[in-house]
Formats: sequence, C-alpha cells, structure tokens
Amino acid sequence: MSSLWVKLWPDLKPDLPRFVAALLCVPLISAVGAAQPVLLKRVLDEHIVAQHADGLWLAAGLYLAAVLGSFAIEGVYTVALSVAAESSIYRLRQRIVTHTLGLSQRFFEAQPTGQVLTRATSDVDALSEALSQGSISILLDLSNILAVLIAMFWLNGKMTLALLALGPPLAMMIEFFRRRMRVLYAEVRDALASLNSFTAERLAGIEVLQLYRQEERTQARFRALDAAHRDANVKNNFYDAALYALIDGISSMCVALMLFWGARQIGLAPGEGNAVTVGLVVAFVDYIDRVFRPLREFSGKVTFLQRAGASLEKIFWLLGVDDRITAGSTELPAHSPGRLVLRDVRFAYKPGNDILKGITFTVEPGEVVAVVGRTGSGKSTLVRLLARVHDGYRGSIEVEGVELREIAPVSIRRAIGSVRQEVQLFTDTLRFNLTLGEDLDPERLREAVELTNARVIAERHPDGLDQSIRERGANVSAGEGQILALARAMARDPAIVILDEATASVDPLSERLLQEGIERVFARKTCLVIAHRLSTITHADRIVVLDEGAVVEMGTHAELLAKNGAYASLYAEGFENAIKPSSP
Amino acid sequence: MAPRWRWYLAGTAAVLLTNWMAVRIPVELASGLDALRAGGQAVVSTTALHIFLLGAAIIGVRTVSRLWFFTPARLAEFDLREDLFGQLLKLQPDFYARYRTGDLLSRATTDITFARAFAGFATLQGANIVAALATALGQMAAFSPKLTLITSVPIVLGFLVVRKGSESLMGLQRDTQREQGLYADQLLGALQGVATIQAFNVEAPFGRRLGERADVLRRNNIALARLRALVFPLFTVSGGIAIFLLLGFGGEMVLAGDLTPGQLAAFLSLITYLIMPLRLMGFLLPVFQRAEASLERIHALMDAPVTRPEREPRPGASAQGTTADRSAARLAPETPPKPPTISLRHLDFAYGETAILKDVSLEIPAGSSLGVFGRSGAGKSTLLRVLSRLENPPGGTVWIDGEDVTQIDLDRWRERMILVPQAAWLFSETIAENVAMGLPEGVLPAAVEAAALTPDLAALPGGLQTVVGERGIVLSGGQRQRVALARGLAHASAGTRGLLLFDDVLSAVDHHTEQILIHTLLGRQAAIQPTSVIVTHRMSALQHCDRVVVLDAGRVVQFGTHAELLAQHGVYREAWETQQGAPDEAGS
Repeated sequence: MSSLWVKLWPDLKPDLPRFVAALLCVPLISAVGAAQPVLLKRVLDEHIVAQHADGLWLAAGLYLAAVLGSFAIEGVYTVALSVAAESSIYRLRQRIVTHTLGLSQRFFEAQPTGQVLTRATSDVDALSEALSQGSISILLDLSNILAVLIAMFWLNGKMTLALLALGPPLAMMIEFFRRRMRVLYAEVRDALASLNSFTAERLAGIEVLQLYRQEERTQARFRALDAAHRDANVKNNFYDAALYALIDGISSMCVALMLFWGARQIGLAPGEGNAVTVGLVVAFVDYIDRVFRPLREFSGKVTFLQRAGASLEKIFWLLGVDDRITAGSTELPAHSPGRLVLRDVRFAYKPGNDILKGITFTVEPGEVVAVVGRTGSGKSTLVRLLARVHDGYRGSIEVEGVELREIAPVSIRRAIGSVRQEVQLFTDTLRFNLTLGEDLDPERLREAVELTNARVIAERHPDGLDQSIRERGANVSAGEGQILALARAMARDPAIVILDEATASVDPLSERLLQEGIERVFARKTCLVIAHRLSTITHADRIVVLDEGAVVEMGTHAELLAKNGAYASLYAEGFENAIKPSSP
Repeated sequence: MAPRWRWYLAGTAAVLLTNWMAVRIPVELASGLDALRAGGQAVVSTTALHIFLLGAAIIGVRTVSRLWFFTPARLAEFDLREDLFGQLLKLQPDFYARYRTGDLLSRATTDITFARAFAGFATLQGANIVAALATALGQMAAFSPKLTLITSVPIVLGFLVVRKGSESLMGLQRDTQREQGLYADQLLGALQGVATIQAFNVEAPFGRRLGERADVLRRNNIALARLRALVFPLFTVSGGIAIFLLLGFGGEMVLAGDLTPGQLAAFLSLITYLIMPLRLMGFLLPVFQRAEASLERIHALMDAPVTRPEREPRPGASAQGTTADRSAARLAPETPPKPPTISLRHLDFAYGETAILKDVSLEIPAGSSLGVFGRSGAGKSTLLRVLSRLENPPGGTVWIDGEDVTQIDLDRWRERMILVPQAAWLFSETIAENVAMGLPEGVLPAAVEAAALTPDLAALPGGLQTVVGERGIVLSGGQRQRVALARGLAHASAGTRGLLLFDDVLSAVDHHTEQILIHTLLGRQAAIQPTSVIVTHRMSALQHCDRVVVLDAGRVVQFGTHAELLAQHGVYREAWETQQGAPDEAGS
C-alpha cells in the first residue's frame, strides 16, 4: 500500500511547502495543548489554594493565551493542510481525466463507464478525506498523546504509571469495538448502496414495472433490502452507543482512581512532588480527556485511510492501464487530395481467427465507395481499423501514401473525418457539439452547417446554434443526431469522410434532410461509406461487397445487379435494415 | 405508526438519569478534593467510590439512552422508506414527467436520511441539551449564581457565533455537493462520448473544461475547510475564556472564603461538561431546518395524487386475499384473452401546453390490427401510451367495448394488454429475469425464439443467465430491444392479453426476421386473434396490418388499408415512392 502513496507523489509535490508547514505545526499544537492543564494547575495550586492573590489574573491570562495560541496554530495547520490536500486532489483528478480520455476504445468497451467515473469522483473524494482528515491528523493525534503523557509524567510520575496500567485493557477494548464496528459499518454501507441502487433503477424503469404490473413483487424486494439496511444500522448503533458511553464512564472512573490514589497518599509522608492537589486532579481530568478524544476518533480516521488505500489501488490500476493506440509521427501535407488504399488488410481479435481476410481496394480522390455486407461480414471491423480503434492489422492501409499507423494524430484528424453509427452528443450548446470546444474557423463552421442541413435544426429554436442539447441528446431525434454528426465532421474540412450509416430507423423528414446532406458531402469529398440505405448505396461511385471478411464483389449498382451474385441477393433482401421495395 | 413515543419517553428518562449522574460526579469531586486537602482519608475514599460507581452506571444508562433514541428513528426510517417507495410505485407517468429521476432519487435517499438524522440524533441531542442545562446550570448556580452568570457570557456569545457559522457551513456544503454533481455529470458526458472526443482529437479542450469544473470544486472545498477551521475551535476558545473568567473571579471568591477550592474545580468541570452539548446545539437548528425541508420534499411525493382509479377491494376479501387471487390468475388464466374493440372519439391529448394528439377518431375492431405510420413527433408513441394508460386520456375519448377506459380499474386494464415501448429498459439482472419478470421460466424459450434473440444468446458467455449490467450496458442497442421484445412476447403469451401494443420494435431486427416476426406481433398464430397496434416506419411490415393510420402533427391524415392508402395521394404514398425511388434512379 505504501508504494501506492509513493505513486501519488507527483500530485503532492507542488504543495510540499504547505504539507511541511502543516507538519511543522504538529509539535507546536501538541506542546501548547499539553501546556494548558499545567497552566491551569498553576493557577489553582499556586494562587488559589495557596491563597496567593498576587499574579492570579496574570496566571489565568497565561492560560487564556495558551488557549488562543492553540486556536491560531490549529487554524494555520488546517488551512495549510486543506489547501495542500485539495490542490493535490485537483491535480490527481486532472491526471486521471487526461489519462482516461487517451485510452483505447477497447478499454471502454470492457469497462462500465460508471466504474471509470467512480475513479475520478468517489475514489478521489475518499483520498481527499484521507489527506485532510486521515494521514497527518493521525500523526497529530499521536503527537498530542505523547505530549500529554510527557506532561503527566512530569506532573506526577507514579500516578501516571498507575493510570497507564489501565492502558492495555482499554486499548484492547477499543480495538475490539473498532473491529466489530468496521465490519458493521461495511455492512451498513453495502446495505445502503444496494437499497439506493435498487431504488434508482426501479424509479428509472418505473414504466416497465407498471406496464408489467410488477408493483407487488418490487415492493417485496424493496422491503427485504430496506429491512437489511435497518437491521445493520440498529446493530451498528448498539456498538456505537456502547463505545461512546464506555469512554465517557471510564474517564469518570479514572477520576475515582485518582482520588483513591490521593487518599492513599494522605497517610504517607508528604513528599512534595507526589502530593495529590486540587490542581493536579483538575489537570489530570483534562489530560484524560485529551487522551480519550483522539482514541475515540482514531477508528474513524483509520477507516478513512483504509478506504483511501482501497481507492488508491483502484485509481492507480486505472492510471496503470496502458491500453492505447500508439500514435505515429509522420505529418501529412496540409492540403492532401484524399486517397485511401487498402492492401491485403487482415485482422483478428483473437489470433488465428481472422475477421478480415485480406481486403484490397482503393478509394481514389473524390470517389465515393460504399461498403455493403451482412452482419458479421467485417464492415464494422473495417471502420474500427480506419478510426484507429484497433491496432495490429496486417497488410497496409495507406492514407495519402503514408501508412495509417505512422501518421501523427493531428494529421489523421485533418485527413479523415468520421461519422459514427452511434452519435454522441454532449450536454451543452448545439455549437459546442459541433466545435467540441475547438476554435474552428467560423466561416467553415457556417458552411458545414449549411451543407449538411444542420441549419434546419439550428433554426427550429430562436437561440439557433446556441440552443442547449439536453442530456444524452434527449431533444434531438436519431436522424437529426446523424445530421449534426455529419456537420461536426465537415466543420473540420477533412479530405476523406468515413461514414458509418446508422441502422436505426429515421423519421421521413429527417431522412430527407440527411439524405440531401450526405449527397452534398459525396459531391465534395472522398468518401468511404458503410451503407445501410439503398439511396446511399445507389449514390456511390463504386460498391464493395464484403462477405465473411473478404471482398466478394466490386462495381457499380447496375453492374453488380447484372451479376446476379451476392449483391443482388442482398438487394433482394432489402439490405440490412432498409425497406425492401415490394414491386421490382 | 407504531407507538414510538414509548421509546422516546424511555430514552428521555435515561438521558435525564445520565445527566443527573454526570453532574453528581463534580459535586462528589468537590467534597473529595476539599477532604483531600483537609486530610479526611475516609471521606476521600467514599467519594472516590461514589464517583467510580457513578462512572460504571453511566456506561449502561448512556448506552440505552442513545439506543432508545436511535432505534425508533431507524424504525421510522424503515417505514418511511417503505411507504414512500410504495407511493412511488403507484404514481403514474404524468407525475414522473414533472420530476427528474435524480430529484426523486435524492428525496427517496438523502432526504430520508436527513429526516432520520433529526428523528434520532437531533431528538437525542435536544433532550441531552435540555437535561444537561437543567442539571449542570442548576448545580453551577447552587455553587455560585454570580460565577454562573459571568461564565455564561462568553459561552452564550460563542454559541451564537457558532450557530451563525454553522449556517454558512451548511450553505457552503450544499454548494459543494452541487458542484460535485456538476463535475460528475460533465465527466460522465465526456466518458460516454470518448469515442468522438478521440476521433476529433479534442482531448485537450475537454480536459480543460473538466479542469475548470474541478478547480471550482477545489476552491469550494478549501473555503469549506477554512470556515471549519474557524467555526468549530471558536467554541473551545469561548470555553477557554469562560475558564479564564472563572479562575479570576472564582479565584478571588476562594481567596475571600466564599467558595472552596473543590467547588471551584467542580465548577470548572461543569463548564467543560456543558460545552459539548452546547457545541452540538449550534448544529441542531440547521439539522432541524434541513429535516423540515426534507420532510416537506418527501411529503410532496407522499401527497401527490395518484391518477389512477384504485382497485376496489372485493367485498369480503382482505387486501392480502386479493393479491393472492391476482397472482394466481396471472399464472393460470381462467378466462381466454378477450380482444377489445377500441374506439377513439375526438381524442385530444397534450403534455402541458404542447398538444400532441388532436381530434383523433378511430375504430379498431376486436381482433384486428392497426399499423401506425408518421414522422417523429407525429404522436405515434403517445397514442400507444394513451391506450396503455401510461397517460390518461380525457374522459369520454377512449372507449373499450363501450366502456370509458378511464373508468376501468387500471390493474384490470393492464392485465388485458401488453406494451413494448420503443426505449428498451433493462434492469441489471440476468436476461432470464429481465424477460420473465416473475413468470415461470417455462415461457422463456418460445419468447426468446420469437424475438430473434436466440443468436444473441449463443454469442453471450452466460446465455440467458448473462447479467446485463446497468441499463443493459453489456448488450448492444439492438440486443436490448430484442430482450424487451422477448419480455413483451413472454407476457403476452402467458397472460390473458387481448391487446398488443408495439412501439417501433421492428427496427431491432433484420428484414428476414421482420417478415416472420410481424405475424407473431399480429398474433396470427394465436387461437383467438388479439387486437394489435403496431408503430413502425417499415412499410414492409405495415402492409400486413388490417388497417394503417397515418398521423401528422397529432392529426389523422390518412386511414385505411395499405392498398387504399397507396391509391390515395398523400404522405403514405409519397413515403412509399421515396423508398421505391432509388431503384428507378439506378435504372432497374
């Protein structure tokens, strides 16, 4: 675990001076705190009990000064520590985000998004708690206890030893409670987590529950989870209450022990140093409280640390994932014509099981090539290779004569604009969804909006491009989403457009707008289209028919129909999802 | 509500006893200390023994005093959760349209916790403070009214400052929570859109945007820590000032012989004893206010009107009996499915101000099928939602076999129909559980086969037992829709469903499957033809329906058989020709 904390060092380092400052406050806080009872005792014994009126107020003032001093130093300590901790946490968050956004698609397909999100939120929060309330604060507690013990020994060594005899059984008792409560606390947390996630999911899916009349079944399941949560809490409450009361009672019992000790001293020769005075008892009562308080909180702080340990492990697991596509470094010329050459491209997800079995074709500058095929023919895999989701293809894919894997990322983006099947929209303005936060040439943006018919979507709301896109694009239909995705790609004026048509049904109005947009893009760019719609396919210059990972036919619509082969039968079936014309 | 006041009564008694004992200790200490100075060994030993016994007794009494406050709060929390969840299950979509899920969730979770914190922690501390003030202040006044008054000044001032501070603290905490939510939302959006971010190489601007949010969060947390560093220790400082005053003025009194040193020491420990509950009192008001607001938010849900006729309990049958009868009926239908005749008469339906369906009149004879066609936003899905009464139509507009649908008991109506919605909702359970939802497993194979889910299951490692993850994340969009379809088909075959409603379920299957599936959807294999309504863009499927209605902007623009509609000039034929157009252009 300690090695994990070492990995956190880069995030902590810039705030080292603040951490050191907080650390330097620790002995000061302990010393001033432990001095307070001594000052109290002095007032009581040397002025009040000794009937020494001179300097009474001064001695009391000294005590007050110590209290104010503690307040000031603790303030410095807390602020320094929290600024340092929060700034470190901020850096860690950024490190996680930057790292994660660079990971390959394969990683995201295997990892639920919620889990990744938890790394940068809950796990980081747990760490923040540990930094500001766990780590150094435990050190402070230990230092305080040490300072108190030293002061107690100094005031009355024998009585301190007698009280310390209570230490081991007390420590064992607290440890027993701590262990019990840690288990119970985990139980409570798990019970609450299942209860809440159950509630969340049922609420989100309430319509289905009602439509299928699942109310009674659901309520019964909820009751069981609710009861488990209640029982775990009641059990936990017992230990919590008992520990609290035990510490409270035991400190009173310590006072009794001091008095017993004092009573025994009465019979003995009055050795000056060992006399049990009023001030001594008051000081010791104070000290006992100062020892108990951190002990009571200790278990909580250790929990912070343990939880942070677990979180650190998960965070650094994520930061250790190195599943990314290695970027190339070759720059393409600024204005390239757009030429794509595939030569004997082979690819396997699992060795020995080729999904692509030697694909060869060329897309010449300005040409539009449609790829068609059944599910499982390798179309999606081909798109994923071109979008650099997967590496490790054999054969060669050349863009403007340069091997794809050797091209610098910035160049790839300039050369290839891709429109994915599943359109991803962000909760922000329409404009942001097109620029994605980049400073694009406004004129080019306007052109792209015009070209792709995205203007129609912008104009349906008075705010135009500044209208808000709701969560997950709730106010955008599937067809409109496609149009926006097309505009997003065109706003960057790429040489080649790779379009993966959505299979989802699109309403007739959007369909027409989208079709128009696609046709205009076809007229301007080199295009490779994974086509599902007949109208798209028939607009292509050339059609590549894939079957089981290999190119089985190539040609124009008319040529391929005439062949009466794979394409013709695909056509007869109405392609993947397109509507089959009923009358030939 | 169980008689919880008994818990609280017992708890209050225990709190009073605890405090009485706790205040006895300094009193005993005073005489002990004075006897110690005077050399009265026997007195010292006796008081020591008393203190020891008091300390031991406090352990037991304090434990139960806390439990007797916490336990009823937990029990109340349990009931409240249970009732609230029950109410949420009853509330209908018109209610859910008004609240965000996140908001409802926070009421069902956080708000209940706040209410419980009040019912347990705050009542305990309230009782504790009253008891502590009564006992400790009384004892202090008994020692010296003057000293009590003097030392009260800084403590009261401290209390006021802390109360003020804790209010700002709570406000700041709320801000921080909101910021955390915003950060999480934005990050979630970026993670879900990571493919796009990478494809456009915009990781840097997204990282910066998130960084700005994270920075706000950081500054908020620091402000919170600053305020904490100021507010909490202030109480200790005010206690220190009180002790300083006590030492000065009390010291003078001891010197003057008005007070014994033991009493002064006892006074000091009473002040220390009072500080803890007073410090907590600064938080009681905010806890109370928060609980009040939370309860208000919870009751807004509890009191929300349920827009459905409650099922009338059968005369002579207990509620339990009704339930049992009902589930029995679900498993073994006694009556064969009775397909309803549906007639819509001048149906208008609006979401708030937005009119969705306008003057829709239609006849759907029993056992016939209706295809619904139209562009997005035409009102197709809403029509199905109204028929299933996810949305209640205005009275007198939707008639089922001559009976107004809003007058039919909702459960009885839902037993007769099945709706497969367009958005497939899956629970994070196995595929089998998602399909069956309480039905015997025997119904699964046929439904899975009919929904064309069999090839998907073969590709999944656990087959039917695959756990689909949150919202069915493990499955592709099409697979999710097919699971939802299987669920609908399973329930349609198992129950007495005479009405089948399908919202755009065909887009999840390929053309070949569609041609088989359409007959299942239309109930062609069933012994008794169900009434069915199918929303789809696919004309190849629509042509199998007895009749097709074309909706545009909420109105019926065309209605008739497939052939009739093709013969008319209109949207339907236009769409048909658009889809037909391509081959012509290509010259085939």
